[in-house]
Amino acid sequence: MTTRTSTRPRRVPPAEVRARLGEPEPRTKAKILDRIDDYFRLFIAHSPFLTLATADAAGRADCSPRGDYPGFVKVLDEHTLAIPDRPGNKIADSFRNLAENDGIGLLFLVPGLRETLRVNGRAYPTDEPDVLARMQTEAREPELALVVEVAEAYFHCGRALVRSRLWDPASQALAGELPSAGEIAVGQLGLDIDPKMFERGLEDGYRQLY
Amino acid sequence: MQQTIVEDIDQVAEDVVSLNLRGAGGPLAPWEPGAHIDVALPNWLTRQYSLCGDPADRESYRVAVRYDRLSRGGSEYIHRFLRRGRPLEVSPPRNHFPLLPAPEYLFLAGGIGITPILPMLRAATAAGIPASLVYLGQSVETMPFADALRSSYGDRVRIVATRQQGRPDLAALAAALNPGALVYACGPGPMLTAAEAAFPAGRLHAERFRPVPRSFAPATAFEAVCARSGRTVRVAPDESLLDALNHAGHRVASGCREGVCGSCELTVVEGDPEHRDDIGAPAGRMYACVSRALTPQLVLDL
Repeated sequence: MTTRTSTRPRRVPPAEVRARLGEPEPRTKAKILDRIDDYFRLFIAHSPFLTLATADAAGRADCSPRGDYPGFVKVLDEHTLAIPDRPGNKIADSFRNLAENDGIGLLFLVPGLRETLRVNGRAYPTDEPDVLARMQTEAREPELALVVEVAEAYFHCGRALVRSRLWDPASQALAGELPSAGEIAVGQLGLDIDPKMFERGLEDGYRQLY
Repeated sequence: MQQTIVEDIDQVAEDVVSLNLRGAGGPLAPWEPGAHIDVALPNWLTRQYSLCGDPADRESYRVAVRYDRLSRGGSEYIHRFLRRGRPLEVSPPRNHFPLLPAPEYLFLAGGIGITPILPMLRAATAAGIPASLVYLGQSVETMPFADALRSSYGDRVRIVATRQQGRPDLAALAAALNPGALVYACGPGPMLTAAEAAFPAGRLHAERFRPVPRSFAPATAFEAVCARSGRTVRVAPDESLLDALNHAGHRVASGCREGVCGSCELTVVEGDPEHRDDIGAPAGRMYACVSRALTPQLVLDL
């Protein structure tokens, strides 16, 4: 296997990209709001999962998952959201990026629903007690939360989720085609341990969610 | 759990709605004044609410919910997103705040703390037992059921809008209390703290919404021996007994996870629990979400 194709695929210049895709319908642009209206609020209240994209000052980008009970992201007012920082891998890519470049892009999902909610804006970490108090779960508060000042919010149509059959229960059979997390870790790190041991450690970690 | 349908959502005061939950499959489990239910919300959260309707009505339960500015997702969901017709699962009623027999009662309610007191006042009055209510709130607009109470009970109900009238003199109430009378209080922490200072401990029964902030000796590890399954579960210092048992595969129910609702009650066969709850566990029982062990081992009926 090679790590890079011998000739790089052709780069299409930006003007040509636009020419090939065409212009968006005026209605598509009109549905972009600069605030969280009641429909977006309802969506966020039922969303247990989102992806969070940031980039550092040099443009090095990162995208990571966030999840908890539906409504774990709090709507502080129609221009402001707060996302709890639950214990994770402590790499803190998002916080490091936001310190240099506060731009943020969020994609909210509601299981079973094909349309997704996109929210873009600027973000910073907070330890405001009134914000953290609203995130108390299992009697624990997060150490930090991310405040997102909303610049734009809009529903994204469901074509990608329809094509991907993301919510079709039959799609879950795909997981069975992959090796276990332990087998992958042992293979990637070249470890000489039983993959089951690695998985037990992983499972123990999954029990300490808060 | 019992299946109900949200039949009505009514605004009963500023920031307070009352929910009428009709049983979807015949009569609902019976209850007595002071009881509460767990309500399983569509956003996976479970919340405890005192029943404030009529125990004789077996068709439906009534609860009232105040919108909390610092809502973690329960009251916000009910106020903003819950709609009539939505099915809701609720637990059978539990009662940690039962009305004990007495020749006379003084009820003390603060704001939404009126909910368990309402059926108590009704029951005492129906039984012909002298009973009075002192009902506190910042202003009358924020106090659910104030008008109905005044019209039903007249001068046996004293409504105190503290922003205008200040706080009532609890010491004077205590001094005027007949011997043998019991005091039932439910409301915000500061009101209950004042009540605890004013009334003799043996005569005051109080129910809290949130735990009293307290500090405990550093938590240590202990073992939970499950008598029925024969398994021993080690509880680490930074882990609750509830979590340890559930991680080990037991299915212990939970609600508030802060020692006020009683969903996670366990029977202790042997060993001394260190009770950290705000319910007051009966002998031989403990609440696994917050309580730990004084002995290295607890034997549980699990």
